[in-house]
Amino acid sequence: MNNNSNKMFFLFILFFSTLISISSNSWFGCWIGLEINLLSFIPLISNSKNLLSVETSLKYFLTQSLASINFLFMILIKFSLLKNFNMNNIISIMMNSSLLMKMGSAPFHFWFPNIVEGLSWMNNFMLMTWQKISPMILLSYYFNKNFLIFMIIMNLIIGSLGGLNQTSLRKLLAFSSINNLGWMIFSIMISENLWLFYFLIYSMMIFMMISLFFLMNMYFMNQLFINNMNFFIKLNLLINFLSLGGLPPFMGFMPKWIIINFLLINKFYFLTFIFMMTSLIIIYYYIRIIYSSFMFNYFKMKWVNLLMKNNMSLINLSSFISISSMILSTFIFM
Amino acid sequence: MMKFLFMMIFMIPLCFMKNMFWLVQMMLFFMMFLFMNLNLNIMCFFNMSYMFYCDIISFGLILLSIWICSLMIMASESLFKLNFYFNFFLFNVIFLLIMLYLTFSVLNLLLFYFFFEASLIPTLLLIIGWGYQPERIQAGMYLLFYTLFGSLPLLMGIVYIFNDLNTMTIYFLKFFNMNMYLLYISMIFAFLVKMPMYFVHLWLPKAHVEAPVSGSMILAGIMLKLGGYGLLRVMIFLQEVNLKLNYIWIIISLVGGLFISMKCFCQVDMKSLIAYSSVAHMSMVIGGIMVMNYWGFIGSYILMISHGLCSSGMFCLANINYERLHSRSLYINSGMMNFMPSMSLWWFLLLSSNMAAPPSLNLLGEISLINSLVSWSNISMILLMMISFFSAGYSLYLYSYIQHGKYFQGLYSFYVWFISWVFIIIFALISFKYDNFKGWFYFYLILNKK
Repeated sequence: MNNNSNKMFFLFILFFSTLISISSNSWFGCWIGLEINLLSFIPLISNSKNLLSVETSLKYFLTQSLASINFLFMILIKFSLLKNFNMNNIISIMMNSSLLMKMGSAPFHFWFPNIVEGLSWMNNFMLMTWQKISPMILLSYYFNKNFLIFMIIMNLIIGSLGGLNQTSLRKLLAFSSINNLGWMIFSIMISENLWLFYFLIYSMMIFMMISLFFLMNMYFMNQLFINNMNFFIKLNLLINFLSLGGLPPFMGFMPKWIIINFLLINKFYFLTFIFMMTSLIIIYYYIRIIYSSFMFNYFKMKWVNLLMKNNMSLINLSSFISISSMILSTFIFM
Repeated sequence: MMKFLFMMIFMIPLCFMKNMFWLVQMMLFFMMFLFMNLNLNIMCFFNMSYMFYCDIISFGLILLSIWICSLMIMASESLFKLNFYFNFFLFNVIFLLIMLYLTFSVLNLLLFYFFFEASLIPTLLLIIGWGYQPERIQAGMYLLFYTLFGSLPLLMGIVYIFNDLNTMTIYFLKFFNMNMYLLYISMIFAFLVKMPMYFVHLWLPKAHVEAPVSGSMILAGIMLKLGGYGLLRVMIFLQEVNLKLNYIWIIISLVGGLFISMKCFCQVDMKSLIAYSSVAHMSMVIGGIMVMNYWGFIGSYILMISHGLCSSGMFCLANINYERLHSRSLYINSGMMNFMPSMSLWWFLLLSSNMAAPPSLNLLGEISLINSLVSWSNISMILLMMISFFSAGYSLYLYSYIQHGKYFQGLYSFYVWFISWVFIIIFALISFKYDNFKGWFYFYLILNKK
């Protein structure tokens, strides 16, 4: 069923389901939105010709439906108890856990690298960016602060240490996504605006990288060295990964700096230290990926044709955005 | 100040045009002379605008960075001849210069951090992109991670200061007094790693050796001084805690400087020897800043400037030898006086400045630092005596092993002289001596001010 119109239909329902989930007045509406989200995402990722794809969509269905059922059950318990709006009880922990499982956050992250390995790049992009929106916002409605801080620490540590032994680019981006979830969960505890800011910049950077990998059809780290990337593609890769790592002067430094600001205002000193040190580990494995673009002489093998899918304008656009974001990010300080 | 910034920004399109290599270098020299002569009132803050300013420390370091960047381009002529991505190299150099210029001239501590970190990226690109050996990857990683490990707590400290004091302006920080140990450590650790202090100096020999000549020049010339500049700025509001804890850093750096000076005698690689001597000089600079007297500050500033010029010049000379003999080893580079006797003059002048022989500017810096450190404690006399003695020792060791003796029998033939090298060396030395005279003049002024 590789029909584009089918995918458009399900994509539309996917977007709509997130909107239902976010803007509902009752927890039931949220649950319904999450269910429709799951239902519409499955046809997007399943491809009946490929056994791995079928297995991936089945795994996704199982984990997400488990989380959804958990969520529904907790909502019902909360409604039936009817006694408190206090956020420091077991119900909030259970609700947060089910939402964290939907997002792929640690310690419920074990399905995430597995599934990411079985999806194509564009499906990965949807999984890593759009599918996080509704669980995040639902998390902000009723969260348990201490529990979430513990989850943030686990996210950061697992995201940074888990990616050290990976060679598949999809799994690397999955672990980086888990790490960035830690930043995002903290930002949503502070304010939804802050989360939106971080999320937009993060999804823009992920989009640039995934579109680069998609156009060059690269799935593994050894493929980075044996193709004929011209100079601008290398520069683009370099800038994007360093930006995602949060190094100045790139654009990715800014959301991290603002979150550190809020961390220190709220006196989370040790947590800030963990944020910093795990981001160092993340930068380590990003730099491993961009070794190939640091070194300027590359193999110009004639039997590898750099066959770009569709067109190059996407790469040019993303290069321009990356480079100009460097300059723009300095102007925002003033 | 903005005029210089825009001059540098508009040199960027010039890098990508054809055959503009020498023009860029000439423009940088031009900017250097403009900067030096358009700022005449040096004894106060000047050129204040919305976010830029300049005082004597910034002025000297910006001047040093423009000078070394222009010498870097001159020294990398082989990139142009061999057509090895010199456009991107020029862009890298100018981008690095812009970042360094902004680091030294912004008024805001967070912006200082931003450009401090941003200057690391072009350096990394220089080392890994144009370096010579495969070990440069590891060298780049060490550079990046040592520096980042130090500077991420610095970001935490700066944001904490902002939340506490509601100002980030460096000038206003002198009215405050932040007496927290953890803040102190997080603020100065970044600069100690960058300087480098003894226990966290491991990135420096790797990065200096594996970098190309331009990378080595800028690393030795300016990047180490970023740490010194940061320490000079940050000490203003950390004075009380520093008085309690400075003995740790002084002892580590002085004893470490002693060990490093002794290690210089064991080096076979010329660049490695010069890199370790950088650590030894910088150890004295750290000692001078940490004792927090006036002579210490002035001595460390003068030693930073003079060491920048001297070390860059020596890396340049080491590269001249490398380009002709394709080896940096002391076993092969011996008896050079037989082939390039004029070069031995330059080696001698720079190495004598390195060992702080009169009338060099290094001598002025070292005398001031010895004064300040001995005034802090008499026992440091022993350490300083040995550091100065060993620095004389390894400078002479390097000079005599390279120049004297019998030459290596495996040499074939090489160019003896290139006219552009004459200019580099002449300029380096002239600037040195000019700074000498200026330095002694100001020293005289400062003494009379007391």
